[in-house]
Amino acid sequence: MEYALTVSGLTKAYPDFILDHVSFSVPKGSVVGLIGENGAGKSTTVHGILGLIQRDAGHVSILGEEKLDDRTKEQIGAVFDGSNYPEILSPRKINGIMKKIYHSWEEQTYFRLLKQFSLPSDKQIRQFSKGMKMKLAISAALSHDSRLLILDEATSGLDPIIRDDILDMLLEFVQDEEHSILISSHITSDLEKIADYIVFIHEGKVVFSKAKDELTEQYGILKCGAAQFDALDRSERIVWRKRDYEWQVLVADRHTMQKKYPRAMIVPATIDEIMLLYIKGEKG
Amino acid sequence: MKGVLLKDLYIAKSNILVTIVSLLVLGFGLSFLLETSALLVLAPVVSTTAVFISITSDASSRWNKNVITMPLSRSQIIGEKYCFYLLLAAGGLLAALLPCGILALFGLDVTLNSLCLYSAIGISSTLLAGGMSLPCAYLFDPEKSQIVFMMSFMASTVIIAALVVFINLFFLVKDHILLGFCMVLAVAVLCFFMSCKIAVKIYEKRDIT
Repeated sequence: MEYALTVSGLTKAYPDFILDHVSFSVPKGSVVGLIGENGAGKSTTVHGILGLIQRDAGHVSILGEEKLDDRTKEQIGAVFDGSNYPEILSPRKINGIMKKIYHSWEEQTYFRLLKQFSLPSDKQIRQFSKGMKMKLAISAALSHDSRLLILDEATSGLDPIIRDDILDMLLEFVQDEEHSILISSHITSDLEKIADYIVFIHEGKVVFSKAKDELTEQYGILKCGAAQFDALDRSERIVWRKRDYEWQVLVADRHTMQKKYPRAMIVPATIDEIMLLYIKGEKG
Repeated sequence: MKGVLLKDLYIAKSNILVTIVSLLVLGFGLSFLLETSALLVLAPVVSTTAVFISITSDASSRWNKNVITMPLSRSQIIGEKYCFYLLLAAGGLLAALLPCGILALFGLDVTLNSLCLYSAIGISSTLLAGGMSLPCAYLFDPEKSQIVFMMSFMASTVIIAALVVFINLFFLVKDHILLGFCMVLAVAVLCFFMSCKIAVKIYEKRDIT
């Protein structure tokens, strides 16, 4: 398998937080969702990948290159949460600026995307809504030779309609097998729609990196009483949490478990529930 | 680098226009009171304020973060700010030279010697101030760098005075005033380029979040 991005052992220490040997890959032509609660280390990971912060340890390979030079940067589109451009500028002025920064800048694509998103070309960005600013940033990121799109909490704070527009655009981008996306978000429903793989970060460490289908098709939550909980083999429980009158146990293969415990109630687990159980649950 | 320079020009456009008009008005207005060429001392200093407007805007709009992901090196990003500073200083000087030239055509006493002398003082002061405040803009937060920016002009005056006193040890600056200030200018140019190198070093190691 060819990879658009490989992160291995990425480490960054702050006085109050450590990003601890984070490793995962983004296969070419796929969407990888980086999930985790606020402060888990998603943005630090993205910053480490994009060279915004000095790494204490680890390697990052983007499109086969270890060095983040201008040629590699030309093929990366980065979109951050909130404003990405000075608000005094208009989309047309941004076009003039980007034309001089990116050799591969595609003016026609940019204006086509602006039109597609119904963004006015000559209005100052300060008059744009948050959703419009995000659409503009994505339009700019897709208007050069981007082969890897990295979005850091790009859909946070947007209404479902705008989020859906953006997700459609991202899905269109990866139709070509050469294009890949790494998207960090704590809105797991967005990632359930578009991601092929999920990387879950908690307290600066990767908890798991798995295919989304494996999580949604195989993982399950076994809801049971005390007696059944005690009867479960320890190796069958990934994490568990005690609610008022029941135990919720995350299991890796709900179909096998259902066969083994036909009377148990095992329901499919959403990514949100998996994340919640890992964060709030107990192991063993 | 051209793209980032264009972005800064867009951001500082209104400020640059106001500065140029003010310098022209001030130039003609001053001619009734004192020597117009004295405006050359003030012009480059005043015109460079737009650089700090662009640095503040970069920080508040998070352009700082976005630009790192673009095909530009950190040294190019810093180099552009220094180029922008030099361009604005040169623009300010030219804007101040315009009324001097026009008034000279109308017979006012504007000598080449005074033009050179005041230009040397103005540019020296601007380069020294920029040399101090520009690296600080990447070291401190916007509020602290604004304070450094304002204080740097006072500090540059003190440095110029100290340099004149030092040069005076070798020859009487009073008798060779233009030569004395050309030497001050040479030191200021050197300091400015050294400051650029330092700012690049600072910025290359800095985490941008």
